[in-house]
Amino acid sequence: MTAFGARTLLASAVVLATASPGWAQEGTWALVNVRIHPVSGPVIERGTIVIRNGLIAAVGADVTAPADARVLDLSGREVAPGIIDLASTIGGSPAPAPPGRGPGGAAQNADAIPAGLDPSLMATDGLKLSEADLRGAREAGITAILVAPSRGAFRGRSALIPTRASVAADQAIKAPAALQMGFEGVSGQYPATLLGVIAYERQTLYDAQRYALVAERYRTNPRGLARPAFDPGLEALVPAVRRELPVFFAASEENEIRRAVRIAGEFDLDLTVVGATEGFRALDALAGRAAVVSVNFPKASEVTGWSYRLTRSAELPDSAAADRAARAAIEGNAAALARSGVRFALGTGGARPGELLANVRKAIAAGLPRETALEALTIRPAELVGLGEALGTIEVGKIANLVVTDRGDLLGDSSRVRDVFIDGEHYEVAPARPASRGAATSAARLGGSWTMTINTPQGAQEVSMTVQQSGSEFSGSMTSMFGTTEFSDGQIDGRTVSWSMVLDMGGNAMTITYQGEVDGTRMTGTATLGQFGTAPFTAEKRP
Amino acid sequence: MTPRSRVAALPIAVAALALSALPAPAQQPNRPPIRRVDVPMLNGGDGPLAAPIPPQPKVMAITNATIMTASRGTIEKGTVLIRDGKIAAVGTDVSVPADAVVIDGTGRYVTPGIIDAHSHSMAEAINEGTQSITSEVRIEDVLRQDGIGVFRELAGGVTTLNILHGSANTIGGQNAVVKLRWGLPIDSMLFAEAPPGIKFALGENVRQTNRPPGPGREARYPRTRMGVEELLRDAFTRATEYRAEWRAYDAAVKARRKNDPEPIPPARDLELDALVEIIEGTRLVHAHSYRSDEILMLLEVAKDFGFRVSSLQHVLEGYKVADEIEAAGSGASTFADNWAYKLEAWDAIPHNAALMAERGVRVSINSDSDERARRLYQEAAKAMKYGGASEEEALKMITLNAAWQLGVDKYVGSIEVGKQADIAIFNGHPFAPASRVEKTIIDGRVFFDRDKVPTLEKVLEKKKAGRTTTDGGAR
Repeated sequence: MTAFGARTLLASAVVLATASPGWAQEGTWALVNVRIHPVSGPVIERGTIVIRNGLIAAVGADVTAPADARVLDLSGREVAPGIIDLASTIGGSPAPAPPGRGPGGAAQNADAIPAGLDPSLMATDGLKLSEADLRGAREAGITAILVAPSRGAFRGRSALIPTRASVAADQAIKAPAALQMGFEGVSGQYPATLLGVIAYERQTLYDAQRYALVAERYRTNPRGLARPAFDPGLEALVPAVRRELPVFFAASEENEIRRAVRIAGEFDLDLTVVGATEGFRALDALAGRAAVVSVNFPKASEVTGWSYRLTRSAELPDSAAADRAARAAIEGNAAALARSGVRFALGTGGARPGELLANVRKAIAAGLPRETALEALTIRPAELVGLGEALGTIEVGKIANLVVTDRGDLLGDSSRVRDVFIDGEHYEVAPARPASRGAATSAARLGGSWTMTINTPQGAQEVSMTVQQSGSEFSGSMTSMFGTTEFSDGQIDGRTVSWSMVLDMGGNAMTITYQGEVDGTRMTGTATLGQFGTAPFTAEKRP
Repeated sequence: MTPRSRVAALPIAVAALALSALPAPAQQPNRPPIRRVDVPMLNGGDGPLAAPIPPQPKVMAITNATIMTASRGTIEKGTVLIRDGKIAAVGTDVSVPADAVVIDGTGRYVTPGIIDAHSHSMAEAINEGTQSITSEVRIEDVLRQDGIGVFRELAGGVTTLNILHGSANTIGGQNAVVKLRWGLPIDSMLFAEAPPGIKFALGENVRQTNRPPGPGREARYPRTRMGVEELLRDAFTRATEYRAEWRAYDAAVKARRKNDPEPIPPARDLELDALVEIIEGTRLVHAHSYRSDEILMLLEVAKDFGFRVSSLQHVLEGYKVADEIEAAGSGASTFADNWAYKLEAWDAIPHNAALMAERGVRVSINSDSDERARRLYQEAAKAMKYGGASEEEALKMITLNAAWQLGVDKYVGSIEVGKQADIAIFNGHPFAPASRVEKTIIDGRVFFDRDKVPTLEKVLEKKKAGRTTTDGGAR
């Protein structure tokens, strides 16, 4: 299908309503024998999904593959809605030169609106995404990304773009999706600093409010009125000050979040805070708000409150312990937001797409309910850009964006993305080369001392563990409030490790099995506590 | 569209339109809503970075101490009684209720919490130096609560800071007055009762003659002291016209008959809003200044536009024009003995504070430095040493007079019944060189307690014992 054909079809609403756009995948697929996580309802243990013209045509346990369908037998695999990353950095505009370096842009053209102050920018204008970036996103299970100008006070307007190969602007799922705001100034001219940026934002939003009203007055009754000047920048802001376009405000630190919330409050904007890595410090400000929570975890020493902590106790802080505790809070950010009822999506926010699921697993280990995490990757982001009816779950009529995994579900500790469907288009993902398998030297190195936090239903429990490793086997002991217990059945398979122990609990024996994934000096996983259910854990190797 | 208009990029031409659907924008900007002074324990949410707010005992008493009230002399072996965060009684015959939390003040000196009238602590940005008038920018927007400087100031008995915009601009940004409620979210540190203020600056910093423009950049207007005055007069002329526009609009709204179209309010301008507040006396001016001629110039401009300069900052030649400063009703906030660091600081003398005070000027001594702020009590002592100021006058220079300059002397600045219990407890006379602060109390809450924090001594002890750390060391 040519680009010309696509544009012709898009030009007509009638055609849109009755036929799929030219670029949609026309083939029919039947994914059979697959474990389905629809997100909108309970898991279907073994079912079929039929995809037709880029949409989900049928889903269920009793669905029969149509005769014309290409059948894909996904026995042993699981399927979830494709991930939507609203904090993607793919395709963001190049950053203007940082303040104070070189001659400023002001001298070049006094009338040009500098990058970062032009809300009329549209992400779909001249959209060109790197194929490698798109592939990287697909391989991480990400089927749609918010392409957004990445710096400035008024950065421009973003678009939700599918991660299809050779994607073009006319395939945008939604444009504009949101007005993107932030706190960066302009080199060498007003507003250069945070002081100026916030004042500029306020003044410009007042200007936009007034512009909207004056324009409205002129539209309804122009007779006898001098016509107001046309201003593309303010024009682009009008939907935002009317709450018709969401405002995505980049704010990660506690005070940035508070500033964004304050500005949005003053102008009654439909705010989504993007980043929110210190959301756990601003739960009061975020109450009743929406967020795209980045899993690009900050360093402990960079978090607001770190230096306060240093002055709290007469005892000198144990840096390693403090660091661990802070890391637990940082990784527990999404869990804290979930507990306080903030509506949020999860996104990369500067982390590599490949790190997304690994970091979401850390957030789960830190207490984020697994279902909430899955929703935050799928239906929540769809809703935040007003696409809850089109995307985000596996339901009949929705866009066929799907992610297929083996070795467990999308959020499983050792699952791998194997296939993605985007607009019904099939992409196979070659499993990452198991570099850590086979050769004994590249298997996880477990030997040494570990500090582990197990998040049991009764609360977090600190455990210390000593491990002696011998090839792919290991033994050791764990010390907790219940005393010290030995274990000897440890197994290492690449990065995946497992072991078990029997705990004497006042005469009752309880078998605990641990299953974890090792990443250098970190381990995340799940402990099965006999008949008492499971508990996520994180562990850190002590130097 | 003027070069100094910050909205030059997005102009709107508003003709004489009649509007029916405009919301009623306030004639003057609404102040932010009353801030919560005492927030629930939210900071840090949960986890190890959370900050529990120090408890506020129902009744607290500091007993048997030397109380330097800063307004009513010094009381030997006296008691300060604090109830619900406010000073309830001061004297030698105060009875202490049985349920009071008692701090034994034997051998201790109790002073009002120290107020630093010129600080740049906590600000993530200080100068929006791209224009010479930036009255629309607000320091309150850019504060950060957890810089270690705040803790060190607290350790020096400081309870209130006046956080000012820098001195790059003729009219800089709006200042923020904060209380050092260390560890709490930034909104909870704002001094709720403090009136709004703004920073002005005169002289070399504004002219930028010590700092040539970068390659490819034009020098910023003004380049001379003449230009500074012109810019000020121009700004206040514009503000006066802006105010007149709003007044005309108000009159038109009142005069409007039922079927007349609603008049259009003028376009709101945050820069001019702040200047109108100055003219109307609701925003206090804190003006960075050095030379006597420019001080007189500013006082003249203020007189012409009908406002008062609340404090002249630095004001190193203030002793030459002390009578004029006093007559204008302005305060003076100066350094104790900082001079000759640039040409306009050449005529500074260490007697400045005492000489101005002698002529009836309300003088404060400020830090303008996170480091000096830790030992402002020693700076105040210099006013006694050099200029022969009385002990109480010297103490006022870091407490009550600073409070007056910031418009908060009704609430803090001296140990008087009814004031907020912001107090520093010293282990010796605050002007003795070896004395230091043991406890710093804000609203009856102990925010600094030397016994409970990792001091340098404790760090050094640990160092001796084994592994070193720089956690508590100097920057």
